[in-house]
Amino acid sequence: MNEYLSNGRLWRLCQKELRESLRDRRTLFTLVLMPILVYPLLSMALQRLVIGSSVKTKAETELLIGVKDDETADRIRQMLNEAQLVRDEGFASPISTVRNSDQPKSDTANDLGTLSTSTSISSSTADEIPDFRIASSDPTSLAAALRGGKIDLWITDIQVETLKLQNGIAPAFEIQAEFRQGDYRSERALADFRRALQLINDNQADQFRKLVDRRLKVAMTFKATGVAEPQADLSSSIAGVIPLVLVLMTITGAVYPAIDLTAGERERGTMEALIASPAPRFALLLSKYVAVVTVAVLTALANLFATWMTLSFGGLGQALFGKAGFSLWTLLQILPLLVIFASFFSAILLALCSFARSFKEAQAYLIPVMLLSLGPGLVTLLPNVQFTTLMGIVPLLNILMLSRDIMVGQSSLVPAFVAVFSTIIYACATLVIASRLFGAEAATSGSQESWSELCGRPKKSQMLPDIGELAIYLALLFPLFFVASNLGSMFELKGSRALFVNAAILFALFLLMPLAYAWYRRIDLAHTFLLGEGVGVGESLFKRISRWIGYLAGVLLLSAGLWMVAFEAYLLFESWSLAAQLTEVDKERLKSDFLAVPFWIVLLTGAVAPAIAEEFFFRGFVLSALRSKLSGFRSVLLSSLLFGLFHVIAGSVLSIEKFLPTVILGLAIGYVAIRTGSLWPGILLHTLHNGLIFGMSRFTEDDLAKWFGNETKHIPIAWLCGGGIAIAMGLLTLIVSSQRKRIHENTV
Amino acid sequence: MISAESLTKQFIVRGVPLVAVNHLSFHVSSGEVYGLLGPNGAGKTTTLRMIMGLLEPDSGYVEISGIRSTNKSTNIRKQLGLISTNDGVYPWLTVREMLMYFADLYAVEQKQARERLEELTDLLDIRRFVDQRCSTLSTGQKQRVTLARGLMHDPPVMLLDEPTRGLDVVGSQAIFRFIDLLKERGKVVLLSTHRLDEAERVCDRFGLLHRGNLQFEGTLNELQHATGQKHLVDMFIAFMSKSEESRPATIPSNELSPEA
Repeated sequence: MNEYLSNGRLWRLCQKELRESLRDRRTLFTLVLMPILVYPLLSMALQRLVIGSSVKTKAETELLIGVKDDETADRIRQMLNEAQLVRDEGFASPISTVRNSDQPKSDTANDLGTLSTSTSISSSTADEIPDFRIASSDPTSLAAALRGGKIDLWITDIQVETLKLQNGIAPAFEIQAEFRQGDYRSERALADFRRALQLINDNQADQFRKLVDRRLKVAMTFKATGVAEPQADLSSSIAGVIPLVLVLMTITGAVYPAIDLTAGERERGTMEALIASPAPRFALLLSKYVAVVTVAVLTALANLFATWMTLSFGGLGQALFGKAGFSLWTLLQILPLLVIFASFFSAILLALCSFARSFKEAQAYLIPVMLLSLGPGLVTLLPNVQFTTLMGIVPLLNILMLSRDIMVGQSSLVPAFVAVFSTIIYACATLVIASRLFGAEAATSGSQESWSELCGRPKKSQMLPDIGELAIYLALLFPLFFVASNLGSMFELKGSRALFVNAAILFALFLLMPLAYAWYRRIDLAHTFLLGEGVGVGESLFKRISRWIGYLAGVLLLSAGLWMVAFEAYLLFESWSLAAQLTEVDKERLKSDFLAVPFWIVLLTGAVAPAIAEEFFFRGFVLSALRSKLSGFRSVLLSSLLFGLFHVIAGSVLSIEKFLPTVILGLAIGYVAIRTGSLWPGILLHTLHNGLIFGMSRFTEDDLAKWFGNETKHIPIAWLCGGGIAIAMGLLTLIVSSQRKRIHENTV
Repeated sequence: MISAESLTKQFIVRGVPLVAVNHLSFHVSSGEVYGLLGPNGAGKTTTLRMIMGLLEPDSGYVEISGIRSTNKSTNIRKQLGLISTNDGVYPWLTVREMLMYFADLYAVEQKQARERLEELTDLLDIRRFVDQRCSTLSTGQKQRVTLARGLMHDPPVMLLDEPTRGLDVVGSQAIFRFIDLLKERGKVVLLSTHRLDEAERVCDRFGLLHRGNLQFEGTLNELQHATGQKHLVDMFIAFMSKSEESRPATIPSNELSPEA
């Protein structure tokens, strides 16, 4: 493998794929011509939509009111006439002087926008009561007509009440109406109609106040309910269209090279020579992947540029995004997303095309995938769909939602991080799958064999999982872990119950599932999970016992120092933590909740259970998989980074402050695992470490200050020195008692 | 040299097990051209794939220069050159780019690869179009490029899988000259073909393969002696009609063939 990764050979392999793709006219077609054609056309269509909607609102046409029957229609007509009369005869006070308290009662929540519209209209059209046309029909068709814009206002109900006055009776009306919220025409109809009623109201109130009864102020109440969505969403749904188009165009750009470099090899008859060569399949696929991603990114760039040009110079940008228009900065923010997306989708395309024996077959596989990817795209077009953290793990949807949010300038950190991180993980896993499928068809007779090779139970057992299996497992684990760690907050579990559920989830995902997976793939459990004694198997009992006493002492010493390092590492990033943003009251409440849980439960669920589960996974499965390809140092480092990352994303918020302490812990335990070749000392160290940290959190800050002998939260220097010595001694003890044998030299 | 020992491969086709290659053993030494002959579906391609390590035999093994061929051995693959029926070229690459690409696939050093390229351009008469894109080449030119491709890493063992299928007389002549060239250079050559007349011309020894079983093996003289027929074609016809009589009623062999 190394001779393919060195001397620029991998780059030369990539060069060949790039040449092949970029010299092909068909690639260039999607790369250059499509953006030039698509965006101006799209822009024209959208602009027509936007302008069309505003043209319609400005048209001075008759407004139409829908009512349930002719009787109501007559009554409305009477009212409007009366209003006109009031206006013409002029016995009403002008609207502008009507005080707020005199305004008719209405559904304020829906009316805020309406009232302001009404003022602007009254200023432009004076007091003219417009000609309303009134149509009667049944409620269902009226509702549909209102939504469809055929009528502008729907008077749903008129109740007549008889008011008892000192000198007799007077009718009082309660009118209910529905209108299209956000629609210019409908809101105008509403405003005008309300103004008509207001005129009558004011007039009557005036009359009554003068003549009859001073108490009566309101003869008519009017209640209007808005239907449909505010028009403001037009721009946000168009903001949803743009990422969708960009993503679809990026996909389109990647499709042709993906097919050409895989199924195309088969069609040209170069596949056999390719896979008969000693070059590793992964290197072959990687070079193809680089080419596909490059073309996809180039397509994305071309499309972004075309979008920007269209939006800036076509005037649509200003129509949608205000005066500032569509900034280059927004585009630059979207570009990395497109790159990440392109790397994910290219992997998927390659995996699918690796199956295909011909262009046609590849296209047959890709079309359903392209159609499927439209599904999440449509979701982004729905207004008022929030981009939640949970959505962040849904491939494709996450990138679409995120870019939509960036376009309208309201992206939030956590879902964005989850979206990016999960997409990268998915891309890696898909790439591994693709490299296994690639070329398999040429060698075997049926495509089932290539699938079974990948997902089925292998016939032969293996000592350790390989990195590919780790990638596939992580891609499975990540969404599960994410959903599971949000369960607690979803069901609002509290106290010890939450702790137990948490521990159960850890056991299931980090202990039982990896064990089951390893068993299914016939991976040697004892080797992978370091279940044995590690170094020193087969020695005399005395030697073994003394070795383990050494481990115990070493681990005790390490844990005595490590918690201080972890604590200080935590303080470095404390300001990032959620706890730092809580009020003192909340902190106290959380603390008392925590103290209410018996300490043994805290230890069991917070120290023992995570230690066992996480050690099985991170120092068992993960470390062993990495060790199958990488050196001990790199394996420990990578597994620790992964260990840290999983702590960051546990729970519904990003706990960045946990990263450094857990990475340090991971490094220490990883070293112990490699050194001793056994999982058990690490489990003990992990348990002690967590136990000490939890133990410390049982005390108040005052207690700690008293202990530490200072006012800051920091651990005193003298303590830290002691801790450092303990760590050094612990490491020394471990080194001495585990000899100089390394685990895999010994066991494999 | 190649030695195959009791190679067996079975495929499952529509739930029915089919033995594609059955306990096949043969040896080819340096400077020798061995013809693996048989009708379509006899198991020739399956055998070649097992030799290349693309297929894992159910039992038996292949040794090339004393190294066992398995699925993952890259060292074995460096010993092997493959030229097959359907070999194509990369239309958008120049001949030089394509040959250098294959040198990289076989981890040949750049300097060495350039030297080899120079040598092969003369040897196979491709200098005229070495910097042209492959899409502009004629069929005969493409074929010569393919032959050069197989030699870029100078393999001691060359596998030729039906190299003349679909070629005209001139094309076939080029292949024969190529085989002679390989022989001169002391390579191990394994030629799989169903063109018995051609095999007669170029091969030193033959193995007759039918439904996965090696029916006869030997030089032309030995075969003539054993079968009483003068030409390979006649031997085969006689042999086929004999086996047809004893043949159990099964699906036609070419329908079952893994290479179909």
